[in-house]
Amino acid sequence: MAASETPLYDRVVRVTHVYLGPAADRFIARQVQNHLHKAPESLSEKDLLRLVDWVRVAVSLITEDKEIVEEYVSKLRQLATEHTQNSEG
Amino acid sequence: MSHVSSAIRWYIVLAVTYLGFAMLLPANKAAVHNYHLSSAGYHSLLLAILLPYIGIWFAAFYGAAKLHDYAELIKETPEGLGFTLIAKGFQWLAWGLPVPALISLWLNSIANAHPGFLPSALIISNYINVVVALVAFHLVGQGTRDLTTLTKSRLSTTEARTILLVFLTLGVAFCFFIFRHLNLHSLGSTSNPYYLPAWVLIPTLIIPYLYAWFTGLLAAYEIILYGRHVSGVFYRQALSLLASGMTSVIASLIFVQYVRSVAPRAGHLSLNTTLLFINITFIFMAIGFVLMSFAASKLKRIEEV
Repeated sequence: MAASETPLYDRVVRVTHVYLGPAADRFIARQVQNHLHKAPESLSEKDLLRLVDWVRVAVSLITEDKEIVEEYVSKLRQLATEHTQNSEG
Repeated sequence: MSHVSSAIRWYIVLAVTYLGFAMLLPANKAAVHNYHLSSAGYHSLLLAILLPYIGIWFAAFYGAAKLHDYAELIKETPEGLGFTLIAKGFQWLAWGLPVPALISLWLNSIANAHPGFLPSALIISNYINVVVALVAFHLVGQGTRDLTTLTKSRLSTTEARTILLVFLTLGVAFCFFIFRHLNLHSLGSTSNPYYLPAWVLIPTLIIPYLYAWFTGLLAAYEIILYGRHVSGVFYRQALSLLASGMTSVIASLIFVQYVRSVAPRAGHLSLNTTLLFINITFIFMAIGFVLMSFAASKLKRIEEV
């Protein structure tokens, strides 16, 4: 998939894989396309926080376990912070 | 039209046809005589026995269709083929409940009017059931094998030995119970409840049943194995529900086929402990199909949100 050429996208999928397994790539691609109206491969750090908000909404429809949802969302937020720091550095 | 609404339409057609024939066909002479029933009494008793089955068929059709819906949704993905094969296998199992029952009902009604046809009716019913088991368990087994290949999970030596031990115990006991009904001094004799000589019965019914059950048991274990090795907390939760449902359905079906083989069909209504055991097992089967439909809905939601 072309999206795998984008390291940021890859890292988001890698985090998601822990929660959604084989469906992770498809899930993130869908969120980016449907809510950010972008091609998955063009996901940028500016989109990340908006993506995290959409992911939280989507995952809340899959499970009622708020603790796991928060854990997943905080890992994605951490990714956003790391990415910003790396870019600034 | 979704697979679920199509499955429900077919279910209604089959259920109404089955109940209609069961109520309209003449009362079985042997059952009426054995239980001192009037024709109306016979049909009332038959209805009371058949209604729970009709409910179980609904669970089966609904569960299999939900799984088919999910498989269709992910058909282009690496797991697509595995789930498609599993869904097809469970469709065979779901259809394998009403269709053989309907055919048996017609055949037994012919035998009721022409007693000389009873052996043919029982032979045909037995072969239809073995074909359904073979095809269904083969498809499910192919599907689970495909999924375990993706996660590179294989049985450990201990697990393989345990499955083999369970299967051997099941198989040896099955042969023992079947052979009790046969005249082993004359392998060509057909004077047994299966109306087949032993040399035909062993390769065409006993061995195919044992093969189908082994494939089914292995498939049940492989889906558990896939659920254990696949990543994804939410995905694994749904998959563990699916594995429980599939295992319950496969184990119940094997038990029903086992009991029906070792306690041969009479070709008419028999109120005995076999019927009681089969009915209890059917409840577990229905629970299994319900669990499968819940799991398929959860998996589908992951792919849709």
